[in-house]
Amino acid sequence: MDLPGYYEFCCRVKIIAGHDALEKIPDALANLRAGRPMIVTDKGVSGAGLINIVADAIKGGITIGAIADDVPPDSDLRVVNRLARVYREKGCDSLIAVGGGSVIDTAKGINIVVSEQADDLMKFSGGHVLKRALKPLIAIPTTAGTGSEVTLAAVIKDHEKHLKMLFVSYFLLPDVSIVDSRMTLTLPPAITAATGMDALSHAVEAYTGLEKNPLSDAHALAAINLIGENLVEATKNPQDKEGRLAMASAATLAGIAFSNSMVGMVHTLGHSIGSVCGVPHGVGMAILLPYGLEYNTHKISRVLAELLLPLAGAEVYARTPKDQRAENVIALIRRMNQELHEVTGGRHPRYFKEVVDRDGVQMVPKEKLPDVAKTALSDGTVFYNPEDLDYDDFLMVLEAAWEGKPLDKKRIKKG
Amino acid sequence: MFLPERYEFYCPVKINSGNRALDHLPFELDTLNAKKPFVITGKNSVERGLVDIIIDAFKDSGLTIGIFDGTPSSPDLKLIRELFHTYRDRGYDAIIALGGGPVTDTAKVLNIAVSGEPEDLEQCAGDGLIKKPLKPFFFIPTLSGSGYETSRYAFFEGRAYASRFLMPDIAVIDPRMTVAEDAKTTAVISLAALTHAAEAYVSTGRSPLTDSYAYPAIQFVMENLLNVIKNPQDKKGGLALANAHCLAGCAFSNIEAGIAHKLGKVIGDAGHIPHGICMGILLPHVLETQLSEDNYHISDLLLPLAGFDKYAETGADLRGERAIGILYNFQRDLFAAGGGAIARTLRDAEVPKEILQDLAKKAFGYGSGCVDMEGYLKILEQAWEGR
Repeated sequence: MDLPGYYEFCCRVKIIAGHDALEKIPDALANLRAGRPMIVTDKGVSGAGLINIVADAIKGGITIGAIADDVPPDSDLRVVNRLARVYREKGCDSLIAVGGGSVIDTAKGINIVVSEQADDLMKFSGGHVLKRALKPLIAIPTTAGTGSEVTLAAVIKDHEKHLKMLFVSYFLLPDVSIVDSRMTLTLPPAITAATGMDALSHAVEAYTGLEKNPLSDAHALAAINLIGENLVEATKNPQDKEGRLAMASAATLAGIAFSNSMVGMVHTLGHSIGSVCGVPHGVGMAILLPYGLEYNTHKISRVLAELLLPLAGAEVYARTPKDQRAENVIALIRRMNQELHEVTGGRHPRYFKEVVDRDGVQMVPKEKLPDVAKTALSDGTVFYNPEDLDYDDFLMVLEAAWEGKPLDKKRIKKG
Repeated sequence: MFLPERYEFYCPVKINSGNRALDHLPFELDTLNAKKPFVITGKNSVERGLVDIIIDAFKDSGLTIGIFDGTPSSPDLKLIRELFHTYRDRGYDAIIALGGGPVTDTAKVLNIAVSGEPEDLEQCAGDGLIKKPLKPFFFIPTLSGSGYETSRYAFFEGRAYASRFLMPDIAVIDPRMTVAEDAKTTAVISLAALTHAAEAYVSTGRSPLTDSYAYPAIQFVMENLLNVIKNPQDKKGGLALANAHCLAGCAFSNIEAGIAHKLGKVIGDAGHIPHGICMGILLPHVLETQLSEDNYHISDLLLPLAGFDKYAETGADLRGERAIGILYNFQRDLFAAGGGAIARTLRDAEVPKEILQDLAKKAFGYGSGCVDMEGYLKILEQAWEGR
């Protein structure tokens, strides 16, 4: 197993997983010496009935201090401050964040305000400024994709000052993450597909990236194995509890892997096409993953080849000649996208030209790709990509991923 | 992939591993709001020059550190009381254990005392009786110890403490500190790691998260222990083994102790051979028994033991046997590489055959749920005889 010259790994989050994991929350809070949580979530999550499930599961054991279910998708400092006031007024002593990245980040922001009596959140932004434990925070992911339930960062926007504040601290890791199959049972197939591929892209980029380490590798392998065995099935059979738990577990494992390594160009371009064209994160990741791997193949072929085992199983791995394993991994990921496209009735896009919004309008006009490539140049993740990329390289990859054609190998840099 | 219907996992230990990892200590202390750490270690670390390296790491930090380098092999409560007063009087705010075994146990127990009062040591003995976080606690492995260092356990003067709060906040694994001393010491810690990790793989508490710690631990031992025993100066190998040591302790904290662990403890406590060596002897015999009882997890062990290619080319029904075969071969190779210092069998280790019955009785007394006394005896007899 590879051992890098230096690495760090930290995931101080207690993971509680299962079909009835929510019921463990009262005990988990008691262990953290708390018993009056504020539940933070958004309208989508509460509208799907998930807060009722959470409340039912825990109300025998504890009193819910407050439920705030109006975190907007574009949450900011004003929301954080408003909800911190609710937390105090209702005498809460802990937080339960139910949802994705925006909800969990908002809860983290509230936690800094109420724990540090902060009137100016800015004082705590940056790396490792927090020096002590905050109030107990339990995260309950609802998408099986982002992995934000195990990350140590939070981004809070200040719309008035046009600022984006970044907070990084081990004290921002949730104390507990609850991985419960009931939280994803009602996810529509297209979202199951996209978030699952998002998790796959985390794990694969962690395993093939420059900052990989033994623990990120092991978490990534487990995640990839679970995704290879369950994603298409879970998309086909949404009510399959086992498949849901497997995918939710995989997303958490992948989150642990990539937040302790780094990600590369798939994320670089995914962030950029998200900000320029509004492509949902998971969809961007799903489309870009095979292209990122194709671009980097000459730098990562040894470790990429290994991924055929967790992704396709022992038999396929053993019968595929060694020098074909890496390209088979890429082909297999393309095939997963194809299968997901089919089982979702075409709702899972394979290429950028197929991405449409709710009204069926194409989200990525081809003429926007240069803008996306330009934006990509200033994304921090580009430094961790195995092979260098400049503007032309980004554009080449984007054009191929738009059209649905493999990369022209002759045009790939060999640095 | 194996996925249980429900699982829990917790590992608060941050791993900092590699070149000049110790140089980050002042920064890491600062992230936990600590400024004046108390280093607990033993004479051996002074003699090996390891204490100087720590002092050096703090040279330009502006921080003051305290060092106690007199931890004996059997520390007692009198020592804890003395250290407690030193800690309080000098205003220390964190504890660093340099080295394993009694050093780490002393540091953990001292941490219970200084985070509350010395009287807590009585009330907190047992499982889950420590109720709140302790002072920042760092562990620096030196490739010696018991294998419990990063775990939730501490053993002190006949008392056992178990709590998630006893796990170190950070394990700082620096290749300058993890150069092998001698074959046996290295084997004790590495075989403890191998056994704890392997038993995590086949235990009822297994989950993808225990696998994620156990997998690299097993691989690092299998790929490096022989090399390090043949060439103690192998720095990269020493670093990998220390990684295995730390990761296996984390996995072990999340499972029920396995049979090899329990039997090994009974033999170790009887004073014959170190616990790690016992466990190394017992492991394949225990797995063989479990395989005959259809423990399907054992076939998965082939992946970390043998690597991707060998795992994939072995038919699913043969993987368990092959995994066990690899462990027997490993015992044989270790015995040869260590010039006989690393016992393959209980007979090699000069455990009298006539006490096996007693040992089985004792192991059964600890309870395990799945093996009866005859089962224990059978394993012990096989481990005495060798394959």
